[in-house]
Amino acid sequence: MNIKIQVLAAAVLVAGIGSTAQAQDNTFKVGAIRYTTNSKTNGIQGAGVPPGADAETGDATTLLLTYERALTPNIGVELVIGVPPKITARATGTVAFLGDDVLSAKNVAPTLLFNYHFGAPGDTWRPYAGAGINYTKFVSVKSKLAPNVEMSDSTGLAVQLGIDYAPSRDWGLFASIAKVQTKSKLVASGATVLTTEIDFRPTTYSFGVSYRF
Amino acid sequence: MKLIRNLAPLALSALLLAACGGGDPYVPGSGSPAGAPTTKGNFTAVVSFGTSPSDLGTYTPATAIPNIGTIGGKFTTNSATGTVWVENFAASIGVIITPAEVGFNGQSLKCPAAANPALVRTCTGYAQGGARITSPNGVGHDPVTGLGALTVPVTQQIDNHLASATFGGRFSNTDLIFVEGGLNDLFVQMQIFGAAAGQIQAQAGSGAISVDEANRQLFAAQTAAQEAMKTAALELAAAVRTKILANGGKYVAVATIPDLGNTPFGNSPAVAPARSVLIALSSTFNVWLREGLTNQPVKILDLYNFFNAVVASPSTYGMDNVTTPACDVAKISTITGGQVATGSSLFCNSTPGAIYNTLVSAPAAANDTTWLFADDVHPTKGGHRLLSDIATQQLQSFGWL
Repeated sequence: MNIKIQVLAAAVLVAGIGSTAQAQDNTFKVGAIRYTTNSKTNGIQGAGVPPGADAETGDATTLLLTYERALTPNIGVELVIGVPPKITARATGTVAFLGDDVLSAKNVAPTLLFNYHFGAPGDTWRPYAGAGINYTKFVSVKSKLAPNVEMSDSTGLAVQLGIDYAPSRDWGLFASIAKVQTKSKLVASGATVLTTEIDFRPTTYSFGVSYRF
Repeated sequence: MKLIRNLAPLALSALLLAACGGGDPYVPGSGSPAGAPTTKGNFTAVVSFGTSPSDLGTYTPATAIPNIGTIGGKFTTNSATGTVWVENFAASIGVIITPAEVGFNGQSLKCPAAANPALVRTCTGYAQGGARITSPNGVGHDPVTGLGALTVPVTQQIDNHLASATFGGRFSNTDLIFVEGGLNDLFVQMQIFGAAAGQIQAQAGSGAISVDEANRQLFAAQTAAQEAMKTAALELAAAVRTKILANGGKYVAVATIPDLGNTPFGNSPAVAPARSVLIALSSTFNVWLREGLTNQPVKILDLYNFFNAVVASPSTYGMDNVTTPACDVAKISTITGGQVATGSSLFCNSTPGAIYNTLVSAPAAANDTTWLFADDVHPTKGGHRLLSDIATQQLQSFGWL
């Protein structure tokens, strides 16, 4: 997956060379992002794990920050970051009795997107669609079931649809919805060793204010 | 150029973030030993540490019956040909091995074979039935009086070998060293779990606690048992590293413990409800044993998978009964004057025609070469033959034979 990112980065640079600088090339956005997961695992494996043991991750809301640089009047490249939200998981299936919070982690998930903005600069309403790459690193991974828990990093595709509302030249509002591929292998070791792979399948909903200059 | 300046940090940050992504997390127990010899050994001794399957007759004196003599002593179908796997294996490479200690009830004799000075170096069979990894309070040992089975723990067995003047405090390149242990720790943990489970279920049954609470408590009890098995496995692995490898052990084979879920013990009415726990404890032990031996110059004797293979396809291995113990509980009780009610194969004898023959005779007569189990866990003579055969095969695959 690293190769993909390098190719993408090269594309960013190449795309940048030909274009001419525009007025209002830069957009900052700040808002709220709702991270809703629709997770599934490949089951939980390990000595002593009853068949049918599973877990499901919950949703989280956090602060979103993005910076977008316009490359052409219609195309921009956007870096999305946010305050890492705490995602928790509850036990399901045959181990549902273990309850909520069997796992918690913060996901640091920067995303680099290429957006196509419909319409023309200066339009009050401009929908946009984007695609790019998300990288997610899980930090502060904890479980009440095992003292040592590690989760692998995830690199996956991200797509988004959004709309900008710009009543004034510099300030505006935005809303967007995104799907991100996020998968992580988890290893928890305590009395025994548990492994699973979580496919978070998140959909994110964002809205907030934008500032253009 | 302004654009490049602006975008470069952006692209760079994405690159850096991707670059810091490591691979998959390490899974403890997924590694392997490494660096064991790959060449044939010039073996002059088999040094065996372990528990009942490898016991060469430690408790023989306990099986003495007035006016008859000793009827057992090994955890199998005892007879003139009822040898255990370690003996079978040693004989196949032309080496003699005898018990390092024989006794019971607080009395014992070290190296009885040394009565013949030519055999002084043969007392390298340290394994004792009931022995745990580090705890002296093994199965059948009375922790208060010290009576009953000796159950010298496996780590102490190794210390005893190193303390013996005969062997100069070291292992030799010509020693073939077998290490086996963990099942008695498992029996102890199963007993603790069983007692806890009984109480939890009684409370749930009377409505004192909810079903979910009962499940949580059972889960906690199982986790505690697994934690104890982990500790035992890591202690055994540490003993292999710091006592055997560090003292010159070169050809070292360490056995995994079998899955007792597939034994008459695991299928017995008392244990069957907790069969999943039983299996979990075996696999937990094996996971941490492997973890403790990862990258160590030893070889693993994989009894866990071998044993399950035999049970899954008995005829492949020349077996025709892998469910019924060959030793008759009632006959053993009778011949021991009611003192042994468990049907322990320690007291089981298969000598044809002998009045102390305690093999099952009805509804079908037991055959101690084609039935796998002597009692609820121990192999018959035929089962031990399978064990020594698989040991030979695996050692051949290591290049040691």
